[in-house]
Amino acid sequence: MRNFPAIATATITAIALASPLAAAQRTGATAQDFKLTDVNGKTVQLSEFRGKTVVLEWHNPGCPFVSKHYNSGNMQMTQKAARAQGAVWLTINSGAKGKQGHMTGAEAKALIAKQNIQSNNYLFDTKGLVGKAYGAKTTPHMYIIDAAGTLVYQGGIDDKPTANPADIKIARNHVLEALGEIKSGNKVSVAHSRPYGCSVKYAS
Amino acid sequence: MTFDFRIFSVMLAFAALIFAPAVEAQNRLGNSELNVPATMIAESQKVKAGQNVTLAFVMEPKPTWHGYWENPGDAGIGMSFDWTLPAGVTAGKAQFQVPDRLLISGIMNYVYKGDYAVLVNLTLSDRVQPGPLPISVKSEWLSCTDEICVPEQDEMSITLQVVGKDAEIVLDKRFNGFRAALPRPLGSEASFAVTDDLFRLSIPLPASVALDTPYFFIHDDGIVDYAAPQKFSRDGDRLILETQARGDGLDMISGVLKIGDDMGLSFTATRGDVAMTGVPLRAENGPQDQNLASLLFLALGGAIAGGLLLNLMPCVFPILSLKAISLAKAGGNEAVVRRDALAYTAGVVLVATLLGAILLGLRASGAAVGWAFQLQDPRIIFVLLALVTAIGFNLAGMFELPNINFGNKLAKKDGPAGSFWTGALAAFVATPCTGPFMAAALGATIVLPPIAALVIFAGLGVGLALPFLLIAFVPAIRSRLPKPGPWLEGFRKAMAIPMFLTSIGLIWLLGRQIGTDALGLSLIFLLLVALILWWFGGAQMKGSSRGALTSAAMVAAILGGIIALPGEAAMDSRKLASNSAATLPSEPFSEARLSELRASDQPVFAYFTADWCITCKANEAAAIQRTETADAFAAAQVAVLMGDWTRPDPVISQFLEKHGRAGVPLYLYYAPGQEPVILPQILTVATLTELVGKAA
Repeated sequence: MRNFPAIATATITAIALASPLAAAQRTGATAQDFKLTDVNGKTVQLSEFRGKTVVLEWHNPGCPFVSKHYNSGNMQMTQKAARAQGAVWLTINSGAKGKQGHMTGAEAKALIAKQNIQSNNYLFDTKGLVGKAYGAKTTPHMYIIDAAGTLVYQGGIDDKPTANPADIKIARNHVLEALGEIKSGNKVSVAHSRPYGCSVKYAS
Repeated sequence: MTFDFRIFSVMLAFAALIFAPAVEAQNRLGNSELNVPATMIAESQKVKAGQNVTLAFVMEPKPTWHGYWENPGDAGIGMSFDWTLPAGVTAGKAQFQVPDRLLISGIMNYVYKGDYAVLVNLTLSDRVQPGPLPISVKSEWLSCTDEICVPEQDEMSITLQVVGKDAEIVLDKRFNGFRAALPRPLGSEASFAVTDDLFRLSIPLPASVALDTPYFFIHDDGIVDYAAPQKFSRDGDRLILETQARGDGLDMISGVLKIGDDMGLSFTATRGDVAMTGVPLRAENGPQDQNLASLLFLALGGAIAGGLLLNLMPCVFPILSLKAISLAKAGGNEAVVRRDALAYTAGVVLVATLLGAILLGLRASGAAVGWAFQLQDPRIIFVLLALVTAIGFNLAGMFELPNINFGNKLAKKDGPAGSFWTGALAAFVATPCTGPFMAAALGATIVLPPIAALVIFAGLGVGLALPFLLIAFVPAIRSRLPKPGPWLEGFRKAMAIPMFLTSIGLIWLLGRQIGTDALGLSLIFLLLVALILWWFGGAQMKGSSRGALTSAAMVAAILGGIIALPGEAAMDSRKLASNSAATLPSEPFSEARLSELRASDQPVFAYFTADWCITCKANEAAAIQRTETADAFAAAQVAVLMGDWTRPDPVISQFLEKHGRAGVPLYLYYAPGQEPVILPQILTVATLTELVGKAA
């Protein structure tokens, strides 16, 4: 079992290489599978959650736009709402070692406790392979995958691209709206939006 | 609140008047805390009802920081403005300058790395009353380094003064510079298509426009993959772009095609069929490292070979042959010969590299210069001419140079310093001859990183010095050179002939640039230079030295020659006149010339064009540069003024704006004593001939 992270990394590499230059996932197509390690060293694979809605959130604790949504409690509220309807929330950190927002497992656990982060798993993507396969550009950058494994939303958390927490009240929370539409069996009306925030701090 | 805002405004206005003309806004936060501090300034503090005034947000990123374009790219955020304006004042859309690209880990950012300005037009209605006009704005923008981002904001205010219709308005000249970096309207529509994940865009752009590494900055999000490479090809008068598509949700898009530093063309595009035809331009990412290395070697080889060939050029050969022979004479002393050869090589390489460094520096500072840059400037041609002529006289024996001695006393008197200066001189005089066969190697320096480019220039020097090194280090070659003797004096004098041939070549070049009148004046100064040298030589015969005096007189004569050269305006008119091979000759446009012609009751046709404007070029080919038009205009004695907007020109920009145009083409006809008529954008021969037919 000690070799497991290494195997996981190899798998991810293989997956990422299988679709060269696939800088993004297509909305309406099957979302690419991946395996990442969480704060406890546990491996989490996207396909485990087939049958459930999955929300992916790209995260960087040092980014002022991420702070806007965590300090105000907006992100935790959205996470809670998602889990309340049975969805799985995966928070992913693609920050490379030495870059802004990179954390060790222990640091991430402390942050989860401090900010009361409600996601199911906090995953590390230090090599940036999953982030690049999904075309994650900003923190936050949000993706929603439905129970059938189809990507149904990608874009920003809301439609007010500012760092001002006061804008949260007047913004349309694209993730909450999409989750509501999925729950009631409707098509996601806004399947695309412009993500906003800091750039993801990839290794290269 | 007993506070009376009106009184406060009057006080503010009063304060503003005292501190005029520095119309700088007050920042609530204080600029120093921000990483990309903003300052709001107005083009004019005084404004009139019913008119516009332009405000600029001058953004000055601290080192390593950058701000964002209106479409920030993959990440980042553009700038927002929340205005507080008095009644009757409206703020227009912010105008952004042509941005740069910054690709970090596959994430594309559209940014400004250096200082930039964002312009906003305020429009005052007719009802705005004279008095102070307080303007304030809350603006938010994102400031980033390659590593971190900080959202910044500031509240800025400024108090303008509404003045009467007759008051004089003084405009802040800095705004001309700000506007020069704005994209300019292309004037024609492009078309785009999205098929199979590919985005294609066809832009009307004359085939004659030189393109190095164009880039398309799209305004609309979700259409293209910002980070994907952009492939360009040219098919006649169309520039075609292909890149990865991101989406297909719009029927009309807009953007800016960047074709040079601070040089961008803005346009809209609608849906259409676009095929990737024509000749591909080099990939936008430039050659890969491997190619770069092989390019460097190729170019270096070319430079050395070119330098070697230069030895045969009329301007260099005399210096070299004499130097070589004198070296051969010192044949017995191997060490001295080698030392001299190395000193000579050092001089050549140093000057060649220095010239290269100046070229790169000029180019980095934004001047559009090629290797021949020194020969585009008549001042440098004049200095070279004086130098080459002086060397000719020296060879002819009119005078001797104390340091650079080409005579047979050389071996005795000349140390390594003399050799060094001979080398430096050879490299400098060689530049007029570098042109054609060095073009390819030197062209490569544009693509290569600066250090590699300098290596090429040094290679040119090595090539130039190579024969010398061979003579010094291969005794067999040396022994084959003819032995110096009395014949050498004759040979030296004969060598003055190629030198004077070079002078004639330079005179011809100078004449083409400045015209025969100015050339005559330049030649008088050249004669003065010759006379000074003669006088200097005369003193040498008598054994006295007039070195210091001669140097001073020479500097004065050459400076006089430079000052007497025609100014840039005259040069431009010369350039245009040389274009008068055109069917319909024209004079360069200026408001002064226009009013002069109007005052003399002459009909005037004024047209405004740019090399990159396809509509302009089409109209010129189809209607303006036609014999019928030229004949009709000649018959009616119509004066033709042409404004060239290929490079930004504030005078033309203002004139266009005054006629409600953001760009070219603009065609105006001024019948004597009447208001000007703005002609349609699409001209025909009939439109033009009927126009003057009526007048005549």
